[in-house]
Amino acid sequence: MTEKLTYPDVVQMAVPFFIALILAEFMWIAWRGRGGRYETRDALTSLLMGAGNVAIGIALGFVTWRFFMWLWHLTPLDLGHSWWIVALCFVLDDLRYYWVHRFGHRIRWVWASHVNHHSSQHYNLTTALRQTWTGTFTFMMIVRAPLILLGFHPAMVLFCGGMNLIYQFWIHTEAIGKLPRWIEAVMNTPSHHRAHHGRNPRYLDCNYAGVFIIWDRMFGTFVPEMEEDRVDYGLVHNLGTFNPLRVAFHEWIGLFRDVIRPGLSLRQRLGYAFGPPGYSHDGSRDTSDRIKAQHLARHPEQAGTPGFDEMRPPAG
Amino acid sequence: MPLTVLVALVIGGVGGIALLLHLSGRSRRCVLTPETAEAAWLRQFPGDRVAEATVSKDGHAALILTERGLGLLWAFGADTVARRLENFDLIDKGDRLRVVFRDFTAPAVTLALDAFERRHWLNRMQDP
Repeated sequence: MTEKLTYPDVVQMAVPFFIALILAEFMWIAWRGRGGRYETRDALTSLLMGAGNVAIGIALGFVTWRFFMWLWHLTPLDLGHSWWIVALCFVLDDLRYYWVHRFGHRIRWVWASHVNHHSSQHYNLTTALRQTWTGTFTFMMIVRAPLILLGFHPAMVLFCGGMNLIYQFWIHTEAIGKLPRWIEAVMNTPSHHRAHHGRNPRYLDCNYAGVFIIWDRMFGTFVPEMEEDRVDYGLVHNLGTFNPLRVAFHEWIGLFRDVIRPGLSLRQRLGYAFGPPGYSHDGSRDTSDRIKAQHLARHPEQAGTPGFDEMRPPAG
Repeated sequence: MPLTVLVALVIGGVGGIALLLHLSGRSRRCVLTPETAEAAWLRQFPGDRVAEATVSKDGHAALILTERGLGLLWAFGADTVARRLENFDLIDKGDRLRVVFRDFTAPAVTLALDAFERRHWLNRMQDP
């Protein structure tokens, strides 16, 4: 069994390129007068979230690593580290990313960590760096367990995860329109990911892909970016703070306040923790399904269009 | 990459980008009109009907009257944030009015209002 396998920390190595590309995107927007928007405090918050994410990765990375090495010592399988095994690992890890990301939007416990990535009302390359500080506490590293038990070395799995993250950096831009059809068919692109960041009812809970958009097409969550429904970035209820601490922890605080409310049944408490974002025991809040239904009640002509495929406006 | 190099890169990169954005005018707050204030409110609360939008003289905030009561919309960088005026405290600071929400996601906003505006807004917000 391969005991020691090392790959470079590609995310750390990419930091200078991230900075250079942000500068390039900003210059492009300033020069052309289109292709996106930058705002000082919004960008600063995003960059500080990114820096915090790297710092927490250095501080808490050992938790994930030890868990993965424990799994590695459990499994009798070792697929080695030939190039095609790395390629296979990359594809399967992207499938893993799809599901973790989907859980991140459909389970409040995971959304509490992921929400900060969607908390900017802007969409530019700094938004890509608005990353979570609390990912470790979602325990979503468990979703990677099958890969390691199948015989992919933990170092390879983390390397592929890093490459996946780097791929996703460049798609956080309005400076690139739609790409050739074959690319849009297979790959996650700026257009697909813009739709994912939309707070428009149509775009809620769509396009979870990391690298390959085929997962969304396979699992029925793909919604194309539509010219007639320009993407409005941010959260359904946008934040009124640029404070990175509030951005990082606001949903966790909301979640725990809801869970410990007096007078709730155990099922309701679990609903607040693990139900979809917007769950409430008394129907006083709106989940994405309800937001879509309310939107269709106001715009019944959009029923059956992408994002509302199987939905019909409420009768009456 | 050595940690010291990484830290220097991050500090230099973040500081440099923030400075560049500020110096190129990207710190300007959005300026509202009654029409854009109404549209911005409906962006946050699409089911509402806006009866009246009162924009502050500096254009950075608006009181919004809907059938569900009074709300506050304010410039948040180049964008806006809106909250219903339900759980909040008011602190009159003479030349400014501070609205403190019991909301972790939007803790407070300071409104720059002249003396006449401040009295008018105070009255409306205290007795919606």
